[in-house]
Amino acid sequence: MAELTRPGVAADEPARPAVEAPTRRLDVIGRRNIFFLISLVIIIPGIISMVMNGFQLGIDFAGGNEFFLTFQNNPTQKQVEAAVASEGVTPLVQQSGQGSFIIKTPQLDPTKFQSDLTKKVGPIDGTKSSYQQVGATIAGETVTAAALSIAVASGLILLYLAFRFRKVQGGWTAGFQFGGSALLALLHDVFLLCGIFSILGTVFKLHIGEIDSLFLTAVLTVVGFSVHDTIVVFDRIRENMIVSSRLTFEQVVNLSIMQTAARSIITSFTVVLVLLSLLLFGGDTLKGFALALLIGIVSGTYSSIFNATPLLVVWRRLQPVGR
Amino acid sequence: MIGVLIFSLFVDGAGYVYRVVNHYPLTGSVPGLPPNFNGWQLYTHYGLDLKGGTDIQLQLTDFPPGQDRASVQSRFIDVIQKRVNALGVSEPTVQPGGGGNHDRVEVQLPGVGAPQALQLLGRRDKLVVTKWVPDPSMTNTALPFPGYKPQITPLTSDMLTNAYAGLNPQTSVGWVVNFQYNSQGAGIFNQLTTDAYSVCQSQGPSAAQCHITNWLDLTPDDIAQWNTRGPDLYRPVDAGGHLVSDPQIANGPIPSGQGYIEGNFSQDTAKNLSILLNSGSLPVNFSVLQSSQVGASLGAQSIKLSVAAALLGLCVVIVFMIAFYRLPGLLASLALLCYAGVALAVFKMVPVTLTLAGLAGFILSVGMAVDANVLIFERFKEEMRAGRTIGAAVDAAVRRAWPAIRDSNTSTLITSLVLIFAAPIQVKGFAVTLAIGVVISLVSAIIITHNLLAIVLNFGWARASSLMGVARG
Repeated sequence: MAELTRPGVAADEPARPAVEAPTRRLDVIGRRNIFFLISLVIIIPGIISMVMNGFQLGIDFAGGNEFFLTFQNNPTQKQVEAAVASEGVTPLVQQSGQGSFIIKTPQLDPTKFQSDLTKKVGPIDGTKSSYQQVGATIAGETVTAAALSIAVASGLILLYLAFRFRKVQGGWTAGFQFGGSALLALLHDVFLLCGIFSILGTVFKLHIGEIDSLFLTAVLTVVGFSVHDTIVVFDRIRENMIVSSRLTFEQVVNLSIMQTAARSIITSFTVVLVLLSLLLFGGDTLKGFALALLIGIVSGTYSSIFNATPLLVVWRRLQPVGR
Repeated sequence: MIGVLIFSLFVDGAGYVYRVVNHYPLTGSVPGLPPNFNGWQLYTHYGLDLKGGTDIQLQLTDFPPGQDRASVQSRFIDVIQKRVNALGVSEPTVQPGGGGNHDRVEVQLPGVGAPQALQLLGRRDKLVVTKWVPDPSMTNTALPFPGYKPQITPLTSDMLTNAYAGLNPQTSVGWVVNFQYNSQGAGIFNQLTTDAYSVCQSQGPSAAQCHITNWLDLTPDDIAQWNTRGPDLYRPVDAGGHLVSDPQIANGPIPSGQGYIEGNFSQDTAKNLSILLNSGSLPVNFSVLQSSQVGASLGAQSIKLSVAAALLGLCVVIVFMIAFYRLPGLLASLALLCYAGVALAVFKMVPVTLTLAGLAGFILSVGMAVDANVLIFERFKEEMRAGRTIGAAVDAAVRRAWPAIRDSNTSTLITSLVLIFAAPIQVKGFAVTLAIGVVISLVSAIIITHNLLAIVLNFGWARASSLMGVARG
């Protein structure tokens, strides 16, 4: 259609200047809507799941008791479930390796519970067992402290970035644009991670999708990492804005993405290697944590390249500062 | 920097040589461990989730009005501390919490199971000594002494100077708890036993008032409803009641304030009661907010798996770095090993208590350390392609990568500091190791890698572009 209305233009288009060459490899900014769409496709089901189902809450958040018991006689899950059910509590029994079970119960007398199970199922190896009891007060406080620390950390990061980027053209306004874009990318990662875990925990009912304080730790780490990745790109943008003053802002951004992409991918790849080894070989307690970090860090790298920087461009268009 | 490195090696090396030579375990606190600075020992402190043990959070309740809450809390901690110390646990911690409310106490007992710990801490366990007084309204025939009810005497366990478990001094069969009152207590005790003895003389040993009775946690409220609750309360403690012993004072008054409590004790129960008596009574009541217990070998397994995973991850990263960046990658790997050594030494010196989450934070900070190196090397490649000499390219790479390294690590540091101050307690260990790791990784990337590169590049052979992994542009 374009050729009909403007015959010959496309064919006669002159070669682009050399400085733009890198931008043609992958025009992130030009195709930003595709990348936003990819993010939304993953995030929206997660948000729906969070709203509809919530999370599979771990002991630290839900309160109650969680036993990790290793029976010496290696019973079946059915046997353990029957024994727990006869205690008159709603059992949640998950097998976790040879003879080991994770049993979650509401508040009850843990000593009596364990001795009853010993009678009904078999002797428990105390050195390979653990037990946790969390009162409702503590559980509530944990959630509050978590939400508060995420909010405070995000706010401080926004301020720090605005401070660091206040010297680019546009001053503090531009600084807040940089900080704000990084923060939006960060929220993207947090929502994506929480959404996936909500789906894993409530739709697929997997133990690994449980939300506990280690998961919280993972979210906070992802917050750090996500900003980390974004800053590397933004820092390059800041540098290129000074060095390559002939380019448009969009060209500068695309150039910067290309220059830092290798680093972003290599770094994330090395971290992913460490996390994969934790996920595959690490202790049972660390697996959910490793998975959360894995998802978060891949998402963090993606969002820093494909979300944060395009967002910055869009923001700068809506609220122009300088060029 | 080199000095710090040598020091950290000295710290680790000397300690391990000493352990091996003296056949001590390779972890944990051992006697006389060098380097030992005035009792300040260097070794890895593991959290309860790694070494096994019980963690209990107590909520203090029923604060007496008008008393300073902070001092009530510290008295409470003193008593708990005495009880815990009597258990002979290594490195127990009893910490105040609850901020301005002064209403929380956290107790950590390595190597102790939750039931045993709760038995010792889970009850207020106040020794109450009563005499018996007539009350015609006590008509319940199931009562031990119909027509009588107990009356609490002013004797408290705070008046005890000493209590210890031992064999019955008269029969040498069965365990008793020996006690010694101070002068105030001895005076009261003398009066009580004199009165009781005279009743024993006149009315015989089965008379109610011939008895002086020991209870745990008998309250005035219990006594007010003695007619109905008496039969249940007058049962041994292990049978759900409050009775410890109910001796007749048939052998004469006891002016010395010295005696013993018989109560069908086993060695353990006698020892537990003596610990409770010695530690005095808790000033307030409490409830258990949270308790968690980890089996010792479960913790050891967690350490083993996590360390194995970390080592595996480290190896893969090193192989990758060398394959991708050649000589600089090798140097970065050396810097990474130095980094890990320094970080572990710092954890020992601070000391940081390593928990499972803490280990994760440390492993993660290794990833951050790699990132700083990658940033420098990628920049180095660019500068080489731009046609700089190797030396100039190294300097330019470090200088230009610095703002990105600084800003990204600062933001991670901000997050970890917020976590250290605001996060729930389980997350703090993670934040501490991450924060320390980030700071050290900055130093490691900028100083160690940079200097190593500068030193090695003095040699002509090291300048071959094949070793640099860069084609000269």
